[in-house]
Amino acid sequence: MGEKPEWLQQYNLIGKIGEGTYGLVFLAKTKSPPNCGKSIAIKKFKQSKDGDGVSPTAIREIMLLREITHENVVKLVNVHINHNDMSLYLAFDYAEHDLYEIIRHHRDKGNNMINQYTVKSLLWQLLNGLNYLHSNWIIHRDLKPSNILVMGEGEEHGVVKIADFGLARIYQAPLKTLFDNGVVGAEAKSTSNPFQLDQLDKIFKGTSMRILDYMGAVPLSTKSASFDLLSKMLEYDPRKRITAAQAIEHDYFRSEPLPGRNALVPSQPGEKVINYPTRPVDTNTDFEGTTSLQPPQPVTSGNAISGGMPGMGGGMNPGNIPMPRGVAQPHQQHHLRRKDPPGTGTGYPPQQKSRR
Amino acid sequence: MAANFWNSSHYKQLFDQEEVDVVHPLDKDKGITLEDFKLIKMHMVIPICKLAQQVKVRQRVVATAVTYMRRLYTRKSMSEYDPRLVAPTCLYLASKAEESTVQARLLVYCIKKMYSDDKYRYEIKDILEMEMKILEALNYYLVVFHPYRSLPQFLQDAGMNDISMTQLTWGLVNDTYRMDLILIHPPHLIALACIYTASVYREKDKTAWFEELRVDMNVVKNIAMEILDFYESHRLITDERINAAFNKLKP
Repeated sequence: MGEKPEWLQQYNLIGKIGEGTYGLVFLAKTKSPPNCGKSIAIKKFKQSKDGDGVSPTAIREIMLLREITHENVVKLVNVHINHNDMSLYLAFDYAEHDLYEIIRHHRDKGNNMINQYTVKSLLWQLLNGLNYLHSNWIIHRDLKPSNILVMGEGEEHGVVKIADFGLARIYQAPLKTLFDNGVVGAEAKSTSNPFQLDQLDKIFKGTSMRILDYMGAVPLSTKSASFDLLSKMLEYDPRKRITAAQAIEHDYFRSEPLPGRNALVPSQPGEKVINYPTRPVDTNTDFEGTTSLQPPQPVTSGNAISGGMPGMGGGMNPGNIPMPRGVAQPHQQHHLRRKDPPGTGTGYPPQQKSRR
Repeated sequence: MAANFWNSSHYKQLFDQEEVDVVHPLDKDKGITLEDFKLIKMHMVIPICKLAQQVKVRQRVVATAVTYMRRLYTRKSMSEYDPRLVAPTCLYLASKAEESTVQARLLVYCIKKMYSDDKYRYEIKDILEMEMKILEALNYYLVVFHPYRSLPQFLQDAGMNDISMTQLTWGLVNDTYRMDLILIHPPHLIALACIYTASVYREKDKTAWFEELRVDMNVVKNIAMEILDFYESHRLITDERINAAFNKLKP
C-alpha cells in the first residue's frame, strides 16, 4: 500500500463505491472547515498501461466540466494530479442515489409505483439540466439512468445531477449565436442541428419497434399530459422530436402535482416517503485500489442492493464510471476479479485495454 | 441563454497585452528579454506545425496546441518548462482535447526523425510527465475557441468566399498564432481582422460591410495593424537571432 498523496490528506477515505474500465470511485469526507464532514466522490483515473498518458476520456470530462455550472449537472469541486504514479483524481459533490437504483428499488418491490410528484420532479430537473447543456452546445452522448444522480439527505436533498461526461462533446455553435449576441447586425443564418442526424437515425431504426411496444405498455391514459409528453420525447424523427427547452414548457409540468426541487420528498401530506437504500461502500479499499478479500459492506441501512446482485452497476456507480451492465456475473466471481491484490499477476479484466 | 464563447473559460480568461508581455523572473535572470521571449514563442509554432503534418492532425489541433503553449508561458518560466518539450506535449494534449488522439510513441518517433539535435531528444516518459504538468498549469481549462469557425460564414456574408480570398484569409489566421492574439482577443475579432487585412491587400473595398457589423472597428483595425507589423518584422529575423535567444535558456 502506497503512501497517501498529500492532497488526499484533506479527505477521510470512507471506501470504494464504484469501479470501471479506467478507474475507481471512492467516497470520502472533507476533514476540515468550511465543509467539514461533507461527502465527496473521488474518481481516480489510472495511468494507462500502454504508455499514453492521461486517458482522453478524462481529458474530455475535465475540459467540459470546467466550462459548465448548473444545479442539475454534477459539480466538479477539485482536480488533483499525483505525479508519482501519474494518476488523476476528480473530486465531485457526492450523490447518494441514482435513477437506476431508484427504478430498480420500485421494480423489485413490485407493488409500489414511484409517486407522480417524484417522477415529475426528476424529469423536470433532468430536462432543465439537459436544456442547459444543449443550449451550450454540449451533447452528453451517454445519458442513462445510472448517470442521472440524485442527491441524498442534506441541503440539496432530492436534486438531480447529470453525471459522467467522458463521452460528451462540445460542438462549436454556429455563427447564429454571434448574431444573437448583437455582435453582428445581420440576419441569422439557419443553424445545423448539433445531433448527428444519420447516426441517430441508425440507432432509432433499431429501437423504434421497441419504443412503439413500450408506448403500448405504458400504464397511462392516452389523453393524459404525461402520455402526450412521453410520445413527443420518443418521437422517431429527431426533427419532429420535442427539445428539452420545449419539454420544460409542456402542460405536464403546469398541472398538479407541480415539480419541485426535492424530488424525493412529496410535497403533499399523506404521501409516503420512500427511504431509498444507500449506496454500498466497500470499506476495505484504499486510494490505491488495493483491498483485502472481504465482501463489500453496506455503510448504513442498505438492503436488497448490498447483497449478491449480479451485474452490479448503477447502484454502485455514483461517480459516473460506466460498468458492463449487460454482463451478468455471479457476484462472487465479479468480486474476485475486481479485487485481485497487486502482485498476483491477474490484474484487471481484459476489456480494459480495448477500451482505450 | 447566451451559449458558448461568451460563457466560456476562454472568454473569461482573456488577457491584456501587458499581462502577456511579462518575462518570468527565472527567465529574466538568464538574460531573456521580452523580445527573446516573443521570439521563442513564435519560433516554437514551427515545430508544432511540422509535427502536426507528420502525424496528420487538423490545423485546429495545432491552433489549440499553440494556445496551450502561450497560456502556459503567461504563468510558467521557460527555464522550468523547456519549450522544446512543451511544444510537442501541447500538441499531444491538444490532440486528445480535440478528439484526434495521437500516440506519444508516434510523436517521439517523428521528433527524432525531424531533429538530429540532442536538445530535442525526449522520450515518451518526458512527454507524459510534461502533459500532467501542463494540465495542472493550465488549471484544467482546455476549451479553446478559434477564428476558423466564423471565417467561412463571415466571408460568405461579405461576398468574398471565392477560393483565392478564402485561402488568403485562412493563411492569415494561421499566421496569427505566431503572435499572442488568441490570448488577448475574441476569436471572431481576429477572423474579422484577417478579412480586413486581406481586403486591404487585395484592394477590395469592404467598408460598407464592416460598418454594418456591430463590432468595435478600432479593435479590428488594431489587430490588423499588429498582423502587418508582424509580417514587417518577421522578415528581419535571422536564424542567429533565434539561436541567440535559445542559447540564453541553457542551464
